[in-house]
Amino acid sequence: MMHSSRLTRRSVIKGGLGLALATTALTTLGLPMPAKAAGKKVIIGAFADGGLTPFKEKIIPLAKEQGFDIQFLEDEYGVTLEKWFADAQSGAGQYDLYLLDDPWVPQFGAANVLEDLGAGGIDGSDKDWISPMIDMGYWPPQQGPRVKGFENAKPTLICVPFVGDLQTLTYRNDVFTGGAPKTWDEVIAKGKEGVAAGKIKYPVVFRGVSGNPIVTSWYPIFLSFGGSFFDDKWNPIFNSTQGKASADFFVGTMKQNAPSGVVEFDSDQEGAAILGGEAGAIIQYSGNALKADDPAQTKVAGKLDFGVVPKQEKAIAQMGIFIAGVPKSAPNKANSIAFLKWYVSAETQAKLSEAGSIPVKRSAFGIAKPGNRLIPVALQQLDAGALPRPRTPDWAKVEELLGIELNKALQAGSGGGAALDTAAKQVKDYLTTAGYY
Amino acid sequence: MRTGTQARKYRLQGAGLDLALPYLMLAPGLTIVLGILVYPLWDGLRASTRAYRYGSPVADVGLQNYLHLWSDAQFLNALWVTVKFVALSVSFEAVLGFALALFCLHEFRGIRLLRTVLIIPMVITPVVVAIVFRLIYASDAGMLTALCKAMGGGGVQILGNPLNAFIGLVALDVWEWTPLMFLILLAGLQSLPHEPFEAARVDGAGAWRVFADLTFPMMRPVLAVAIVLRTIDAFGTFDQVFVLTRGGPGEATRLISIYGYDTAFKFQQTGYAAALFVTIGLVVLALAFSAIRLLRRIDAS
Repeated sequence: MMHSSRLTRRSVIKGGLGLALATTALTTLGLPMPAKAAGKKVIIGAFADGGLTPFKEKIIPLAKEQGFDIQFLEDEYGVTLEKWFADAQSGAGQYDLYLLDDPWVPQFGAANVLEDLGAGGIDGSDKDWISPMIDMGYWPPQQGPRVKGFENAKPTLICVPFVGDLQTLTYRNDVFTGGAPKTWDEVIAKGKEGVAAGKIKYPVVFRGVSGNPIVTSWYPIFLSFGGSFFDDKWNPIFNSTQGKASADFFVGTMKQNAPSGVVEFDSDQEGAAILGGEAGAIIQYSGNALKADDPAQTKVAGKLDFGVVPKQEKAIAQMGIFIAGVPKSAPNKANSIAFLKWYVSAETQAKLSEAGSIPVKRSAFGIAKPGNRLIPVALQQLDAGALPRPRTPDWAKVEELLGIELNKALQAGSGGGAALDTAAKQVKDYLTTAGYY
Repeated sequence: MRTGTQARKYRLQGAGLDLALPYLMLAPGLTIVLGILVYPLWDGLRASTRAYRYGSPVADVGLQNYLHLWSDAQFLNALWVTVKFVALSVSFEAVLGFALALFCLHEFRGIRLLRTVLIIPMVITPVVVAIVFRLIYASDAGMLTALCKAMGGGGVQILGNPLNAFIGLVALDVWEWTPLMFLILLAGLQSLPHEPFEAARVDGAGAWRVFADLTFPMMRPVLAVAIVLRTIDAFGTFDQVFVLTRGGPGEATRLISIYGYDTAFKFQQTGYAAALFVTIGLVVLALAFSAIRLLRRIDAS
């Protein structure tokens, strides 16, 4: 007797066709469709950072009132560079606006994947811009050395400053009772007194994780010791006498006065140490500093004050602004440029300052009631000195090489100068291979 | 007498439908394989012979990327760290997995529950496992530190110390993937014939003799397959390291997968990264073939 459900050729073909149709239908219905221009929709990509909290909470609702439909997509810092670069280069068109970390601008600029915002009607020559901030939006840079292939190119405004973040000092006012410490020696000496008095556990805290975190923590110390990173021909000179002194101080004295696990600390842990009341001082961006007055986020509300970074020779901080670029593949390009024009207007910048974020236009620093005590200190720091990182598309690799060597020295608690020598050789070799010389 | 349908059917058969049908049925699968396997592989090979700047190819460099690998200290370090990681992890997993499989071969009350519990780590998403281990290892607020402090000790430095971080990573991998080894070996043990073991018992052989003379030799092919599978898989470990240490401290846990990822996506050296991954692919293939040859030799002996 034949089995009634015998597999026949016809049933296989019918089943296959049915499966193919069902799969097609499910795929079509289930997959997100590429974003299409619809009204004033703007898809913003950002990395998760406390520095953007005022923008998210106060400015996005204002933008909605202006008719912008903002879609805010956040990712972890460590994956955004590669994700957005792949999006821009492949023309995938998943974003209208990237909120980049400023050292990434050269990489996007050299790859020619961002829109010319000057041609879009944004005025880069407006005197109200904080000049070192708007300078970072140009590729190739208007000042300083240029990489090969871009020596004679006309600087184009491909990004505009979005949040004027830069490093400042956050310190415990019950430990540093005479105000912000002026020198690193004072930070350590008074911090030790604070530890002895039981007010804090560690004089300082910083980020020690290899790569971007440790370089970000070391850089202001390097600058304050009077170091320079590259010469005009892209030769690494960070292993100068000043550079080595800063690295030895960093991996030696600073480590001895920081939590024992600082080698593995990133921004979460350093934030917990200062907001949790354990550390006496920290150099940081605005992300955690903005939480200093919120009792829900700190155990030492009212005890944290801000100041200009301490100096050894100079009191120079590192700039690390959020900077906005519109990919050439943006599905809602016109909307993003219209949004940026509205956002960088003096009126909106004043609202941003009121919301507690560091603005990018000088006029917004002068409003009657800035939303955060950090804002006037940020202006003081800008005037005292703040420098961007070197404007090279290969900064990510340079930072990686240097970060690994610094991290190794930090583990050992010594040998900062030697680490810089090793890193300088590696950077030189890498840049030679990349055709810099 | 033939009906109209039958006549049409025979006409189609005559036109060669029977001959074409297998190829027609293969076509969708073949197209997918060509599209998602062969083309990317070909594209990767082509990329590995090019130099890239700012994300775009600028020159054909032949085998220069491959040659440069062997003078790249970071690549060599990452390769060495990966080999150490794979060797240690897979060894521990094989020994533990075998021991657990032997234990779980016995039938006793609760054995089904125990077998189920033992495979749970394997089904948890690797990223989640890494986050949990990060919470255990963290020197400031980690579970191990809390435990040590509760017992009167100090903080525990795992992720900040190169050796400890490496051991911590191996421990994570062993915790997560021993269950796979256990599962394969348990299935192997359950499929062994009973007669030799009964005969050995009748002859008065002890537990160790039975293991050494019967169980282990009979299980060698299964064990070899399990080790080869895990070795290939361990070479590609990425998620756990990315979340737990990102390759640090220094370069202590920077596996080849992390170095390759950074090279390709962070530093935009697409051609060099392609050469790196092709090389690693060849190394893993060579290992797999060696293991298979070894297996055949064992079978023959």
